[in-house]
Amino acid sequence: MIEILDVSLPIISFVLFSLLTIPVVKAIRKAKTRKTLITLVWFATIFITVGITVANLATKYYEQASPQPFLNITLTSEPFTIFSSTFMIDAISIYMAIIFTVVGAIVFFYSMFYVDPSERLSERYYSVMLIITGCIIGAAFAGDLLTLFIFWEASAAGSSFLMLYKKTPESMHATLKYLVMIIIASAFIIYGLSIVYGITGTLNFWTVKNALMALEDKHLLVVAFIFIAVGYAIEAAVVPFHMWLPDAYTAAPASSSAFLSALIDQGSYYVLLRVLIYILTPPTVLGWTLMLAVLSALTMVVGNLLALTEKNVKRLIAYVCIADVGYNLVAITSVTPLGIMGNLYFFLIGGVTTALSFMTVGILNRMGFETLEDFSGVGRKAPLTSLALLLGAFSFAGIPPLAGFIAKYLVFTAAIEANLSWLAVVGVLASVIQAAYLVRLINYMFAKRLEEEAKIREPKKLLIPIFILVAAIIVLGIYPTIVLNLIEHVIQQLPFTP
Amino acid sequence: MQNTLLLTLLMPTLAVPIVYLLGKKSVKAAALLVALIAIADIALLLTTVPVVLDSAPAAEHKYVESYYWIPILGSSFTLFVDGVSLSIAIITLILILTATLFSMNYMHEKKGLAEYYALLTLLFIGLVGVFITSNLMLFYFCWELMLVPAYFIIGGWGYKEPYRAAFKFFIFTHAGAVFVLLGIGAIFMVTGDLDMFQAQTALMSAQPELVKWILLSLTAGFAVKMAIVPVHMWLPDAHSEAPAPMSALLSGVIISAGAYAILRVSLGTVFPAVAVMAIDFGNQFLHGLAVFGVMSAFFGTLIALVENDIKRIIAYSSIAHMGYVLFGLSLFPFQEIMSGTVLHPEVITGTVLHLVNHAVSKGLFFLSAGTIMKQLEIRDIREMGGLAGQMPITAISSMTAALSIAGIPPFACFISEFLIFVGAFQTINNDNFYLLPTALMLIATVLSLAYALRYVSHVFLGSGKLEKAKEAPFFMKLAMVVLMVLVIILGVWPTFFIQLISTVSFV
Repeated sequence: MIEILDVSLPIISFVLFSLLTIPVVKAIRKAKTRKTLITLVWFATIFITVGITVANLATKYYEQASPQPFLNITLTSEPFTIFSSTFMIDAISIYMAIIFTVVGAIVFFYSMFYVDPSERLSERYYSVMLIITGCIIGAAFAGDLLTLFIFWEASAAGSSFLMLYKKTPESMHATLKYLVMIIIASAFIIYGLSIVYGITGTLNFWTVKNALMALEDKHLLVVAFIFIAVGYAIEAAVVPFHMWLPDAYTAAPASSSAFLSALIDQGSYYVLLRVLIYILTPPTVLGWTLMLAVLSALTMVVGNLLALTEKNVKRLIAYVCIADVGYNLVAITSVTPLGIMGNLYFFLIGGVTTALSFMTVGILNRMGFETLEDFSGVGRKAPLTSLALLLGAFSFAGIPPLAGFIAKYLVFTAAIEANLSWLAVVGVLASVIQAAYLVRLINYMFAKRLEEEAKIREPKKLLIPIFILVAAIIVLGIYPTIVLNLIEHVIQQLPFTP
Repeated sequence: MQNTLLLTLLMPTLAVPIVYLLGKKSVKAAALLVALIAIADIALLLTTVPVVLDSAPAAEHKYVESYYWIPILGSSFTLFVDGVSLSIAIITLILILTATLFSMNYMHEKKGLAEYYALLTLLFIGLVGVFITSNLMLFYFCWELMLVPAYFIIGGWGYKEPYRAAFKFFIFTHAGAVFVLLGIGAIFMVTGDLDMFQAQTALMSAQPELVKWILLSLTAGFAVKMAIVPVHMWLPDAHSEAPAPMSALLSGVIISAGAYAILRVSLGTVFPAVAVMAIDFGNQFLHGLAVFGVMSAFFGTLIALVENDIKRIIAYSSIAHMGYVLFGLSLFPFQEIMSGTVLHPEVITGTVLHLVNHAVSKGLFFLSAGTIMKQLEIRDIREMGGLAGQMPITAISSMTAALSIAGIPPFACFISEFLIFVGAFQTINNDNFYLLPTALMLIATVLSLAYALRYVSHVFLGSGKLEKAKEAPFFMKLAMVVLMVLVIILGVWPTFFIQLISTVSFV
């Protein structure tokens, strides 16, 4: 039986460890020898502990004779349940918790070497990163709209600290832009939620959903839906609301960009998926398919076109993140089991690939290469880093046998299945544009020959997490069954009949 | 042996890192290793010949191996050979072998050869894999696996502006590939299975509209790789900028893969459903193929007639020959096949045989042109002349290739072009649409003799004496002689391949 403790343990442990990290890192800084090793052991302990709690939850969930589609777990008993936070465990939330923990650990590993722990204030950086990871997992476990809102806003707004770590004028500016957008978004969402609460008298996912299914007058619901959808769309950087993303991701240190793209970004798609498909179930409650299809086509095309004109490589990768939003939306729009499968696979692969690219670009930025011109001949100067970026780029472009291919394949097939063939065609054409600018990047890295081709020493420690991710995209590309088997449970408990 | 085909793919896969590390120490050893693997693969594939040629009445005429892969996407790691795929795969391996041998001398003063041979091995996996799988997902994996190493080989070791040509190649063929992907996705959606043969029957119960779109989308995608006329633009640049061994592979195998895919997937898997549900559309589709085939043949031939760059002439002749192949495919006698009156259509046998013959002849043509370019360091044929005396072996192999390409007996391409034309005349009886295309194809054939002779006379005949001209080094000669012998053997004794190919029935 899953108790409230099992569910909250991963979140609690992240929060506790986050608080402990500040004194521990400070103490390690004073140590004489083996500082790196001790820091490493400390962070390894954190992630192993959390990993165990998540694994515990997963085994308990799958041990049940027939895994429930969802489990509602509340803090208080019956009459007050309405006011209490609810947690909901189903196959998706467990899957999300697993990938957030695993990818988070790898990104963290990178940050530990990228942001020097002996720097002043770096302990706060780590601490914020841990607490945000905890909050995202909380959002994945949330069982009512308010809990989801609180956990999600905590992680979205909290991540502004990660962007602000180096207090440069650009990062201040970008963070301000980000915060303004996030605050507008949360105001929208709160407004929409209050309407939903007014209509249904509850915020619990399943009660809300059932109440909405039976709803007759849908005028108010449309208003609520628009506010909620726009709010979450701003946070996911869907195209008309995407302007904050490139600034924020470019101004942030590379480790933060990697973290944001791998966790916050994927988290925001997850929230969008959860809210749209599980709560405002489309075909039966509101027909939002066409609207979302247009938005997703727009996002794919605009994101990729902006990337095509971009000179700064880090910003280019940020635009790839926007294009990824579009691909995810295609899958959400299709509302088919295949689409959900594509979404969930994309959450992992998109996160891993963008994180990988930001990590490599971070290394190259430190060597002084910023724009495409600077990247000329990097392939010879820093071969290993460039190889990793190359594989990341091919995975983005959807070239098999890299994992990005399977993700894109699932997404576009889902679009065809949902009778949205035009969207699939737009999608693949956008994908060709994507291949074009990524191959151009590769052209710069490998084709341009320079006079001096002295090799630069590449930071070995930073390359370890990068190559773990490279191995992941290759293995998951050749043999995706490992992850697809996990996703299969999700398909069996969808809230709608395909 | 039970895992023959798996081993065929596994050997080059495992060899990639070994070749790279070995290449750092000794380039020659790495090249020999690649050649050795190609020979071993040929031997492995030949062991399946008895199964394919099995004359027992209930024989399936194919050899299949299946492994667990991605059940949730309807894909298992299915490797299979039948007469068609076996013959093309064997020729592919022979071309890889000769290209590798050729590279040993041709590339030896270039830098970064460890990477070159590693990429070549990677390309090897894709090239062979595409012909020996019946699972569409695996097929697409191999299809795109041809792209990346080819891109780097063209870009890294080509001529003047190689990355430009490589970029064009990459984007064009990738754009084609995504349409193939859409088609494959739609097939999966309809049938829930990605096996080419399973899908064939399952598609019969799909919506006719959807099946039409699948057919068009797949064929358009394959046609890009095949460099059929409106989408041929990548080919002349890529073929002429690439290093000669790579041009041989591009022109011999990669574009053949497009033709093979049209035959196997468009016509083999999807077309029967179209033929059953919308016979008019099926006819129009085949007529369309014929029109594009004639366009390609004419366009390629005419440009080859006026082009002066030694490699671009051959590149345009590749476009022309893919036109022949497409024309041959357009004669697909589906009514006879569906009704069971013809089981093994001769015209398709001829078309597949033409792929084989064209691959060998064009490989030889590109290798000999590469030899000339390397020894003389010029590419304009007007500056050449009288090389026959100075480079006899190169000259003989070039002439063999040119005559074969022009369809002169007793060289390879004659037989297959002849079979295609026989098929065309038979088809005219039932469908007089083909009258005009066939006539035009015959004219194109005459013109192809013109460019072949122009090439030969400009380069090898005449009185011009070039100082630098001297015969090619050993491995280059060896590679050319192997292919030259093969061109002649295929010309006088095509029985082996005809037997193999004609075991295949398409329903």
